[in-house]
Amino acid sequence: MDSDERYRRLFRTALTIRLVEERIIELYPSDRIQSPVHLSIGQEAVAVGVCDALNPDDLVFATYRSHGFYIAKGGSLDKMFAELYGRIGGVSKGKAGSMHLSAPEVVLMGSSAVVASSIPHAVGAALSFKRRGSSRVAVAVFGDGATEEGVYHESLNFAALMKVPVLFLCEDNGLAVHSFKNARQSYNLLEHAATFGIESRRVDEGWDMLAIRQATLDALSVVRAGRPFVLEIATGRYKEHVGVGDDFHFGYRSAAEIDTWKARDPLLLDGKLVAELKPEIDREIAAAADFAENSPFPGRDELLTDII
Amino acid sequence: MNVSSKERPSTQTRVLSYAGALLETMDAALADHPNTFIMGQGVDDFKGIFGSTTGLAQKYGADRVFDVPLMEEGMTGVAIGAALVGDYPITTHIRADFSFLAMNQIVNLASKYSYMFGGIMSCPMLIRLVVGRSWGQGAQHSQSPQATFAHYPGLTVVMPSTSQAILDMYPQIIARHPGPVVSIEHRLLYNLDFSASAETPSKPIPLTSYVAREGRDVTVVATSVMVLEALRAAQYVAEKAGIEVEVIDLNSISHPDWELVIGSIRKTGRLVIADTSWLEYGVAGEVCRQVMLRDPSMLRQAPAMLGMAAAPCPTAKSLEDIYYPSQHETVEAILAQVRGSGHGIDLPVERSMTEGYKRFRGPF
Ligand SMILES: Cc1ncc(C[n+]2csc(CCOP(=O)(O)OP(=O)(O)O)c2C)c(N)n1
Ligand SMILES: [Mg+2]
Repeated sequence: MDSDERYRRLFRTALTIRLVEERIIELYPSDRIQSPVHLSIGQEAVAVGVCDALNPDDLVFATYRSHGFYIAKGGSLDKMFAELYGRIGGVSKGKAGSMHLSAPEVVLMGSSAVVASSIPHAVGAALSFKRRGSSRVAVAVFGDGATEEGVYHESLNFAALMKVPVLFLCEDNGLAVHSFKNARQSYNLLEHAATFGIESRRVDEGWDMLAIRQATLDALSVVRAGRPFVLEIATGRYKEHVGVGDDFHFGYRSAAEIDTWKARDPLLLDGKLVAELKPEIDREIAAAADFAENSPFPGRDELLTDII
Repeated sequence: MNVSSKERPSTQTRVLSYAGALLETMDAALADHPNTFIMGQGVDDFKGIFGSTTGLAQKYGADRVFDVPLMEEGMTGVAIGAALVGDYPITTHIRADFSFLAMNQIVNLASKYSYMFGGIMSCPMLIRLVVGRSWGQGAQHSQSPQATFAHYPGLTVVMPSTSQAILDMYPQIIARHPGPVVSIEHRLLYNLDFSASAETPSKPIPLTSYVAREGRDVTVVATSVMVLEALRAAQYVAEKAGIEVEVIDLNSISHPDWELVIGSIRKTGRLVIADTSWLEYGVAGEVCRQVMLRDPSMLRQAPAMLGMAAAPCPTAKSLEDIYYPSQHETVEAILAQVRGSGHGIDLPVERSMTEGYKRFRGPF
């Protein structure tokens, strides 16, 4: 494929994520979205680069911060907005909200809001793929903070032991809520993976969708050969941990740290391409918001359904 | 609202928020007990667990108040180890749901330490959990695990419903409670102002249950924020129908004052239980068990129960609003107990309790 065309495709998806979240920011004061939101603005390139490298049937487990992965994996915008609005037309009929997005039709499996809790799910899915002789792989998406939880270590050990086709994908934004990585971790993620005999790589250029895509393809060639892989991608969270605001005024971090990311952010630099693609994406977003607006609220009959 | 207590004569009062009471007791614990330290995710940041630990790291230093990595089970085990050698650890979970990662340490270790070793060891410590509610907290940020923890002998479980309850209990727990305590705080209460005593009690107040409002017609046994709901309902039915509700704040969930509770039910013959969690295998069942063991005939009719619907918590507001008992349902349950279902009295119109709490400018 023409590499320009590929860049445009990736760019368009990244821009969609950015514009969707900017729309969420605009909508938030109206209280149409009555649920906590963890924005991925600044981190779009990770979801976009990784998902573009996957086959459509490769499976992803993401986190409460997964608007980006939902869109990059190909989830429907209509169902996403309806879910955020708490409407019956949402992915999960309004029972999930922003923190538990999923899109089984594009094998984005349930997102969990308990940090690190879905990492072993990806290992389990990969184990099942291997047992059935399938060529599919599973991806566990998690933040840098999640690697501190015991279950991360248990999952790596088991995946290495069983030689399952799982990609451990760490979105390293350097923060867990307001806490910096160096205050929380005494290990280096790649060296740590190596102690399990797991191959790994870090991508520092977390704004570079094509580099992330290529790094993922390289990692997947190891994973498809039946060996787990840890891929760590440095990135920058522009907004507050949860909610739609900035958080530089609280003084725990400086805007300058994020400015270095912004200075390389293609969505901010390539104004020409943005101008070209934006009108159509805006129309899709407006249609999705309309769809949500017109979808009914789930009623009492939904309260006690789907439990078992 | 002033929790009436037989131990405490009426004193000077002041207005104090729930978060303010927490901050005050955390501060006092660090000042009074050099062996006390507070650890948890975010305890030293600018939000300070919703204002309950703000500024304490600066005041007492990073060896007394510190952030931890994401390590709920590890943190709890570390706390147990420190407690075993004489420190007093206070740990926090900004949502009670995250304490489930520490279940092994809390249930298999902390709760057993005294008994399993024949009383020669103990691990006194305070585990603070915050229950989330409203604004789409959803299934994993809204659970209220009092029944879960109170099930295990060896754990002491409390649920302060007011600033006064915090002022009464936390200093006692930290200064002299011999074992691990799980305190379940409620996020909706944090920003509410309460009327609280301006003086420190002259003698220790035991962990116990309280009569939050006296009445003769029906007993409401409630926990945490449902105590406030019961008091609001009690006021409503008093004004509308002259019904006198006795509200009991169970408060000390694992070790309630059953004589107080049973005495009240004997007096009124009518019972409503209002809990913040699911009814199945929970506080409601335990209150009924206590009645059955003594004399079921003390009840003139089947009791009523209010709790979360028997489902994980939905995110959509339209579902969340009916997931929790509304003021409408609380009043209806009380009226139906006293006057029967054909009571004919108007019910309050309140679509969402949490909106009411957001607007409310107190003090209770
Ligand atoms: C087990 C657990 N502990 C604590 C929390 C509260 N919490 C939510 S997100 C978060 C930070 C996680 O950081 P990271 O894994 O780096 O992901 P990021 O938010 O940066 O994307 C914390 C501590 C939680 N949801 N689950
Ligand atoms: Mg992070």
